[in-house]
Amino acid sequence: MVDADAGVPLPALLALPEWAGRVRVLAGRLAPAALVTGLRPHAGLDLPDQVAGGELLALVGPVSLADWRLDALLRRVADTGGRGLLLAAAPAGGLGRTTGLLADRLGVVVLGADAPVLDLVVAARVFLAAPAVDHAGAVLAVHRALGGRLLAPPAVLAALDRVLGAPSALLDRHGTLIAGGAVELTGLRVAEPVPQRIAAPDRLLLAHPVLLPEERPVPAEQSSGQPTQPSPQAWLVVALAGAATSRADTAADALVVAAGAVRHWLLTRRLDLERDARARAALLGDVLRLTGEPSAELRRRAADAGWRLAGWHVGIRIGVSPGVDVVGLREDVRTALRAAGLAAVVAEDGAGWTAWVTVTDEPGPTEVRELAEQARAAHRGLARTLDVHTGIGRPRQGPEGIARTVAEAADAARLAAGRPETGRFLHVDRLGMAQLLLAWTRTDTFEPAARALLAPLRDQPGDLVRTLAVYLDAESSITETAAVLGVHRNTAAARIARVERLLDVSLADRDERLALQLACRTILLADRRETRDRPAR
Amino acid sequence: MRIRTDQVPALERGVALLGSGGGGDTRTGSVLLRGLLAATDGVPVPAVADLPADALVVPLGVVGATAVFTEKLPGGGEFELGVEAIGRWTGQRAAPAALMSIEVGGLNGISALVAGATLGLPVVDADLCGRGLPRLDQFSLVAAGRRVCPCALVEPGGRVVLVDGASPAEVERTARGYLATTGGWAVLVLAPVPAGQLADCAVVGSVGAAVRLGAAVLALPESAGAAAVAAAIGGRVLGQGPVVEVCHASASGPGSASVVDRGGGAVVRLVMGTEYLLALVDGALVGTTPDVLALLDARTLTPIPCDRVRPGDEALVVQVPAPAFWTRPDRLPLVSPRGFGLPQPPVLLSDAGPPAPDTTAPGTTAPDAPVREG
Repeated sequence: MVDADAGVPLPALLALPEWAGRVRVLAGRLAPAALVTGLRPHAGLDLPDQVAGGELLALVGPVSLADWRLDALLRRVADTGGRGLLLAAAPAGGLGRTTGLLADRLGVVVLGADAPVLDLVVAARVFLAAPAVDHAGAVLAVHRALGGRLLAPPAVLAALDRVLGAPSALLDRHGTLIAGGAVELTGLRVAEPVPQRIAAPDRLLLAHPVLLPEERPVPAEQSSGQPTQPSPQAWLVVALAGAATSRADTAADALVVAAGAVRHWLLTRRLDLERDARARAALLGDVLRLTGEPSAELRRRAADAGWRLAGWHVGIRIGVSPGVDVVGLREDVRTALRAAGLAAVVAEDGAGWTAWVTVTDEPGPTEVRELAEQARAAHRGLARTLDVHTGIGRPRQGPEGIARTVAEAADAARLAAGRPETGRFLHVDRLGMAQLLLAWTRTDTFEPAARALLAPLRDQPGDLVRTLAVYLDAESSITETAAVLGVHRNTAAARIARVERLLDVSLADRDERLALQLACRTILLADRRETRDRPAR
Repeated sequence: MRIRTDQVPALERGVALLGSGGGGDTRTGSVLLRGLLAATDGVPVPAVADLPADALVVPLGVVGATAVFTEKLPGGGEFELGVEAIGRWTGQRAAPAALMSIEVGGLNGISALVAGATLGLPVVDADLCGRGLPRLDQFSLVAAGRRVCPCALVEPGGRVVLVDGASPAEVERTARGYLATTGGWAVLVLAPVPAGQLADCAVVGSVGAAVRLGAAVLALPESAGAAAVAAAIGGRVLGQGPVVEVCHASASGPGSASVVDRGGGAVVRLVMGTEYLLALVDGALVGTTPDVLALLDARTLTPIPCDRVRPGDEALVVQVPAPAFWTRPDRLPLVSPRGFGLPQPPVLLSDAGPPAPDTTAPGTTAPDAPVREG
């Protein structure tokens, strides 16, 4: 936006070709910061109804320089924040001493013109309007170059460069260069979705966020209240150097137009991505449900998608918290895997990605270990910007093997989510049977059942769930339980008795013990996970 | 009240101040008056109320180029000729009961007493202006709806012109036209007015007021401060300092005299015709006619007339409230700036009660308030 109150310093007006040599300061002086914002023609010497702040009152028509009414005019101009008077004065004519003294005292100027005052007013007004005209022209030019057509970012940037005469670039949400160049950028605050100006010694960087509506489904408890805040999908940056820095306002408005064009492009591309993702998800579902030989139709679809069903497959499951834009970030995941040397199939699948690597021959232990290391490298790359947990399955053969290795990878990933000590990365080969068994209890069906089973113990005095868990872990030893909990053994014994009474079970029964121990593990693990996750929200 | 020799200085100072920069030179008149009063007990100046209601009062004075009056002195018989001429025209052959000044400000504040001393008649304590006013059609008679004519003009050589059947403006034009082509000044004698009607058509008590004003100023020490001057004149001081610029009135418009206040640096400009008409402080209008605006020599407190002010004079700019006669809304237009061809509204001390400082310090750009108030 061009500031409506912007003006020019008086010397700039006096230096105009139409003014230079024809207009003199007869009296008074302006403060250096005082800008002239306009000129108001005025006939006669009667007081004008109003003079806007920053204006020069231009007296058209002949005026006696000694006329006392100039005093009253000066006072009116000064009272309304004006800058002074412009009047016709022959070179010989001198301003009255009183008026001169008054101009000094009021901090306004009296300008004497040896040219038609109206001509000077016109010249000054054109000059004053020039920034706004230039601004409007530049924004209009950008709009004409970009409006109504779908242009890829390089074309958008080229149009910006052409109009602004300054290099521009498109950055992704993390500030990494996508298109354009020659813009060195430091200091962009990518977390703040607002236009930013970054001043460097030799140039001025303008960054404008390209905002898209947030895809994250709003959890029920948060849906009331403020609307979803858009997050920047990309940043448009232009670097102004030298005299071009004075066009920052113009450039900022041009960026608004250009950001619209980039958003247009992003949304169109996004539509393609979503269409692909839906096709992939359908294909993935068919592959994972596969029993027996795949149909010819499925083979054809898999081939179209570039998926090899034959050979040996190693599944990779990369999980993220719900709400992450898995469609938009799929390309990032592929890039990370490719960077680690893995040519993997990647498909969006729930809260995360299901991927697998296919090789022709059965991989040996060394190859499997190497593959796992590559996957770990990719995981580390992703973990820099995303909260991911990753699991790797065993090599499995044939079309049906995909579902098996992917299921193993999913189990490993689920365990990895609770294992910060492994960097939230687990290879199923390294897991014991027991851990896998336990992992199966962490399913959506088991956990509610476990909670229902232990519900009578909740909200009871004496921390009964933990006491029961410790008691079962301690091989049903009251003494050991008391020692672990730091209570008296009679207390421990009384609590166990209460547990049996409340749950109406006998802990002597081994089936009951197994069920209760699994339930305790599930609930305590789930509670710990919740406690850990809560601060992150 | 009687005006004796020892009261002439106070009278002279008072009427000079009330001249508001005009009204003509008072020195020659007061020399004449002192000479006439030297061997006498003074001229009686009765109050209007002390005269019988049917006593006829003849207004008279000197009109025209009063500057010429100081060079071309009266012969002595002009007043008598004029009174006789107006008596003959109106049929009032008997000698009037009293005389009255047409204009208390300036020369005519004294000339009526000269006439009184010459003719042996009392001079009533009233006049037709209450201050100095430049035109015959600005007499209080006109404000009261009466006419100026019939009137007699008597030149120093004894030529008598009688004007009747003319509007006040026509009388003014006729007198100016006649005097411009003849001797420059003349004695003007108006038709007698019954004393009982003076309260409605004259400024009553103005001679006594002039004497008191002059005495109060004379009682001040040399170079008295602004506050003391303001208290003595019952008005206010707008500024005190050197006169920095003087533009004399011309056919193209009024002139002005400007003083830069030594206290706050305020620029005080008095706009003048033959009287000081407007006062601007830092470009803001703070006082206008009919308030008496005057420049006083800062040391002697002698009024400086419009035609005598020079750059470099050290002066006080003062404002004295207008006579109450003029502040009535129906009378004001005759003597407000509009009555002098200026579009400004009247700004009077009596409007604001005690003068408010906001006229000079509106808070935006005006520096420290430069008006010192009395």
